[in-house]
Amino acid sequence: MVVAPAPSAPVPLALEGLSVAYGEHRAVDRLSIEVRPGEIYGLLGSNGAGKTSTIKSIVGLVRPVGGRVLVFGRDVVGHPLETKQRIGYVPETSLLYDALTPREFLEFVASVRHLEPVAASERCQSYVTAFRLEAEFEEPILTLSNGTRQKVLLIAALLHEPPLLVLDEPLNSLDPRSVRIMKELLAAYVGGGDRGILFSTHTMEVAEQLCHRVGILDRGVLRGEGTIPALREKVKAGDATLEDLFLRLTEEGEGVRAAVDSLTGRR
Amino acid sequence: MSWREALRLSDVAFTELSLQAIYAYRQGNLGPEGPGRRLVARARRRVLESKVIVSFVLALLAFGAALVLRSGVVQAFFFPPGVPSGAFEAGVVTSLLSLDVAFLWWTGMQVLPTFLSSGVLPVLEPMPVDDRTLDRVAGLLYLRLFDLPALTVLLGTPILLGLVAGPIVGLAIVPGVVAAVAFSLALSLLTGRFFVRRVQGSRGGGGRTVVRWAYLVLWLVPAFAMFAFVILAPTFFTALAALASGGPSVTGHLLLAAFPFTLAVLPALLASGPAGLGLDPVGWGILLLASALYIALAAGSVVWVLRSVRGLQLLPIRPTAPAGARPVAIRTQPPIVSVLTKDLRIASRTPGFAFLILLPILDALAIGLLTYVRAPGGSLAFGIGLAAVMTAALLATFFGPAFFAVEVFAFSYGRTLPLSDRSLLGGKVLLVALMFLVAGGTVLGITLTRVFDPVLFAAFIVAELPAVIAASLLELGLLFRRARSKGLPITNLYSGAWIAVLVSVPGLLVAGIPLLAFELTLAGGLGLGLLAMAGTALGELGVVAPFALGRGAA
Repeated sequence: MVVAPAPSAPVPLALEGLSVAYGEHRAVDRLSIEVRPGEIYGLLGSNGAGKTSTIKSIVGLVRPVGGRVLVFGRDVVGHPLETKQRIGYVPETSLLYDALTPREFLEFVASVRHLEPVAASERCQSYVTAFRLEAEFEEPILTLSNGTRQKVLLIAALLHEPPLLVLDEPLNSLDPRSVRIMKELLAAYVGGGDRGILFSTHTMEVAEQLCHRVGILDRGVLRGEGTIPALREKVKAGDATLEDLFLRLTEEGEGVRAAVDSLTGRR
Repeated sequence: MSWREALRLSDVAFTELSLQAIYAYRQGNLGPEGPGRRLVARARRRVLESKVIVSFVLALLAFGAALVLRSGVVQAFFFPPGVPSGAFEAGVVTSLLSLDVAFLWWTGMQVLPTFLSSGVLPVLEPMPVDDRTLDRVAGLLYLRLFDLPALTVLLGTPILLGLVAGPIVGLAIVPGVVAAVAFSLALSLLTGRFFVRRVQGSRGGGGRTVVRWAYLVLWLVPAFAMFAFVILAPTFFTALAALASGGPSVTGHLLLAAFPFTLAVLPALLASGPAGLGLDPVGWGILLLASALYIALAAGSVVWVLRSVRGLQLLPIRPTAPAGARPVAIRTQPPIVSVLTKDLRIASRTPGFAFLILLPILDALAIGLLTYVRAPGGSLAFGIGLAAVMTAALLATFFGPAFFAVEVFAFSYGRTLPLSDRSLLGGKVLLVALMFLVAGGTVLGITLTRVFDPVLFAAFIVAELPAVIAASLLELGLLFRRARSKGLPITNLYSGAWIAVLVSVPGLLVAGIPLLAFELTLAGGLGLGLLAMAGTALGELGVVAPFALGRGAA
């Protein structure tokens, strides 16, 4: 677990009573969290807990039914272009313009973000080399594997060096080498102290290694938030792992045991 | 497993195909909110509606052919007394079968990319279903893309012709319509394979883009076949009358061996009797042999289609050349231009969109070449040139809304980029304007070789340009408003073509009014006509632009 940095710069991301609903179904209910400068914040939750809905409302894909999303103090609903300019986003599923090549796709992204071509090319070259993407750089995205598509999305998110990264399960489908690079890169990315990363995952080991603080979402409601030692203290769980903490906070521990017993015929 | 099981599985797969065709979730579209069950039902209904529209057009073609056969007016116009009437009847049936093949083939080419991107068959592959059943499921799924239109041709044509010329004649056209449907299914599949192998996996780079666009021109063949047949029908009937009155000839024998004329002769023979065609023994021999060959080929096509569909969705999309590492260079453009570049690049690997861009341009080229070949001089060449520019304006305007559907691809990702609706709209309008300028420039460039008046021609294009921009702004502005309230409209033939058609109506009016103003004021001189045209076009742009680009709009 990493020690949380002290906040000094403007807050990269603040959710204030955020609620997201699809018809009658409330996916996120009055969620309030903050990603502080220099911090990697892990948003944890089971499938359907509301992580992706939260992230979609941050990047402007879903309009909240209540509350506010502030990116460096600016409301994303009121200032969509300005806030999008400051966000780098990796979606949960690698949905890209399949008919474009990575180069063509990144050129489009760089153009929309008004990037200076020489600097963008240099940054792009270093990421392409790091992720060993040279051979696929001119192939249509349609022909690429899921992992390679994910790398393209990561490059697109990092190309403009955004002060806020919003990553929805970013390490899914990546090979071990790229996962290691990403972990090191993300840790260094917030090292300067003014950037922030919101990181959604349900892989507890990754969250434990990478995140300064975590928030545990369950059926749209925040069940617990803080550093892992703070959470351990909260549930009086000694040296419990993050996985144990997660199950206790979401009250799923008993359910897990019952499911395993049922599947293994121990009952 | 049985055909029954294959039918059941294909029904499930078709539901998924319909859902993906309408909402394209798998391509990154956000889609509308709502209970899944309702969306599925809506998707199936929308696909059915589109099939009904296609079937209606096919029924209309058969009705038109029946009317021509019954009225006798057309026959009297092209066939003087004494020319065997059977040739005319065979000619009408040939026209109908040609249009059926071209229209069904075109339909197949429009829906095949959706069929491929839906990815429904790969989902079934890992399931414990035997190979034969999977082949059948794939075949049935493919047939369901065409079911209602194909049934309209297979049943509607014999019934309509039977009502006009008697039940025997109606029955005699059955081999012809069966072959027409079989060949169009096979041609659609062949072009689909070609698309997967040559276009979809093609690498980036300028030279390869040109080659890809050249391949995509092939996508226009059936559309041009329909277009050409309508244009050339009078020439065809005149030549046919000359051929029939001249007695047996080599050309006549070649025609007898050519599909669909071969299979159109049987109903003509039954309608007019053997004397109605004046066939010699060689002609009879050719007719029998060619008929047997085409019927066998049709049967073979059906078998091949049923066996090959499964492989189409499973074809590995391989890069067209070995990959090599090169230094990475990113070029940037202003956002509006980058939208245009992105759309052109997507279109170069997506036949449905390439078709929309190429059709107005190639149409202008065809009209220009026709003008050049027929070599009219003076006002006639000028008139044809202007008519071609008008066609280009109307076609560009008509197809404009469809470019909005490009945004379906990775729509959810695109929405997270800091790209304003105004830039997005501007990029699309730029594409439509570019299409108009290239199409107009092409036809006028050719026409200039007959009437050298570049200033006048350029003035005509420039005067119409604001109207084309206004029309596409209006259409796309309407679609943007709809997208905000109901999600992104996808517009291909089977997934909501009516949306594009609906917004095209006001667009066509906007593009057409300045042309009308030109025609109405032309009597006062060309200068006045052009002034009236430019004034109207600029006025329209002044009214439409605030609606599309103003506050609360884009």
